[in-house]
Amino acid sequence: MMDQRWRPTVNEREFIEQALQSDLRVDGRRPFDFRKLKIVFGREDGSAEVELGETRVMGYVTAQLVQPYKDRPSEGTLAIFTEFSPMADPAFEPGRPGEAAIELGRVIDRGLRESRAVDMESLCVVAGKHVWSLRVDLHILDNGGNLIDAANIAALAALSTFRRPECTVGGEDGQQVTVHDPEVRDPLPLTIHHLPIAVTFAYFGDGNIMVIDPTYKEEAVMGGRMTATINSNGDVCSIQKAGGEGVMSSVIMQCLRIASVKAADITSKIKSKVEDYTTTKALQKVKRTPALVPKKVHVPDVAMKESTGALENQASKTSNDVQQISKDPPATVKDNKQEDVELMLTESNPEVKSTSNSGAAGETDEAQESRTPKSLKDAVKPKHKRKKKQHGKS
Amino acid sequence: MESKKPPPSALVDNHVVPGDVILDLADMTNQTIKLGAGLRQDYDTIQATSAGRLRLSKPNKYWVESSQKRYIPSVEDTVLGIVVDTKPDNFLVDIKGPNFAFLPVLSFEGGTRRNIPKFEIGTLIYARVVKANSIMNPELSCMDASGKAAEFGQLKNGYMFDTSTGLSRMLLSSPTCPLLEALGKKLSFEIAVGLNGRVWVNAPSPSNVIVVSTAIIRSESYTQIQQKSMVENLLVKLS
Repeated sequence: MMDQRWRPTVNEREFIEQALQSDLRVDGRRPFDFRKLKIVFGREDGSAEVELGETRVMGYVTAQLVQPYKDRPSEGTLAIFTEFSPMADPAFEPGRPGEAAIELGRVIDRGLRESRAVDMESLCVVAGKHVWSLRVDLHILDNGGNLIDAANIAALAALSTFRRPECTVGGEDGQQVTVHDPEVRDPLPLTIHHLPIAVTFAYFGDGNIMVIDPTYKEEAVMGGRMTATINSNGDVCSIQKAGGEGVMSSVIMQCLRIASVKAADITSKIKSKVEDYTTTKALQKVKRTPALVPKKVHVPDVAMKESTGALENQASKTSNDVQQISKDPPATVKDNKQEDVELMLTESNPEVKSTSNSGAAGETDEAQESRTPKSLKDAVKPKHKRKKKQHGKS
Repeated sequence: MESKKPPPSALVDNHVVPGDVILDLADMTNQTIKLGAGLRQDYDTIQATSAGRLRLSKPNKYWVESSQKRYIPSVEDTVLGIVVDTKPDNFLVDIKGPNFAFLPVLSFEGGTRRNIPKFEIGTLIYARVVKANSIMNPELSCMDASGKAAEFGQLKNGYMFDTSTGLSRMLLSSPTCPLLEALGKKLSFEIAVGLNGRVWVNAPSPSNVIVVSTAIIRSESYTQIQQKSMVENLLVKLS
């Protein structure tokens, strides 16, 4: 339906151009300022959401073992898929990607592939038979202008945090590939040589006024657009200028110079965000290892035990606990309550914690006061009951 | 409940959600109550069907005011529309509603078949909603009730941007909202606000226009005091 497409008014068109004559942009930026960039990583490795002003793009990387292309038997493959969701812009239609979607995919693909930013040979597992095929999905969530730059940053951020499973080649013929579970062996990061950053310029007037990072309205009013993909070393990875007004070659060279400065800035931002994310993830892994460090000594208050039980959910269950729970039926608790209270007092802390943890875990959610002590004692009791029985018997 | 005048609903000026009972009609007899947007009669009760604030206009008109990005046309609203197409009899105007609105070519002051205005596609129009219901396309007019132009018509130059309907209402509230007052003390500009969530600003210099538009866009969720301080900060930065 033509209904929902946004149309600029004559007033906006004239005003944007008039303001640019005095180097003013409608959102208060200067001509060569990028909008505020925000990168957020998802829970899984390889997913990133980028906000560039009002534009939001999500990038998601997955990998699969496939047969390589015949002419490149020892290289992995990289494919970019774009999805222009209709929730991003009323002009986006669901279904087949339109021209803009295909152009965006091609520009990002060219920037990554031609410049060999991602090392393809390290993705080879068995030459000619098995290689990793990377798939980058870019979902446009909100179109606030300059989708190419934002999507490119999303792709780079996602690739930088993606981890592929480790695999070993073995078997009799040396051709059998075992892909290891991430829990068994840490997944590996991709080898990324450099980050190609896309910088988009919009031209106004007679091609002599240009701005960086156009917003939605500026894009609707501009005369032409050029995207330069540059890395922080100053290498030009790709240039895209599809139609629009003609610009002089001197203007193009000036744009490339500006783009390299901006690219260095954005590269450092991406790298620092990726680093923060990887350190946070590494720290999380460290916490997971069992640490039976006695934290606090508590009086045998039922409520307190429940809370320590909840706190200690992180601590791993020792095999003893499992045996204790399975051995002791809760029915026979009652007569031993009194004994057990005394036992609780004299127990060492780690046992209290591990058993209280298993007690809390063994019970279903609503552990009533009377029941948790029973279960704690269930867990605790066998040890000392055994000892006591031995003493009694012997 | 026994007096002649219906007591106002207890929920006036409060937030309501769909399903809230505004009035119980069982206790009232022989009284007319006018229901505006967002209210529905359900046998003996009046219930809210949209979320927002309940408003009462004396003596007996109730409606629910909510803030959205799209606009539901209602009669007597002043809106800013963009001309999308011209037909022999009307202009097709986009007013951010579910349908395009029709602006008859003769609904201008002194309009005759001989002096039909020439609006190209993309012209910004300040108009008044004359007919609005859920079945037909709404109809606009560039005259007030007495047939005078009264500032309606094409808006030239300046800059237009979108806001939510709640923000437009706030800008049009009387007494003047502190945002516009504070801006008006330092800068000179003219402004046209459409209840459909569009605002047009014009000033002699582009920087003034940009300042005013940025200030308005940013004040979406600000209270009165916040608006004032935000504007002061903005103006200090400039000077």
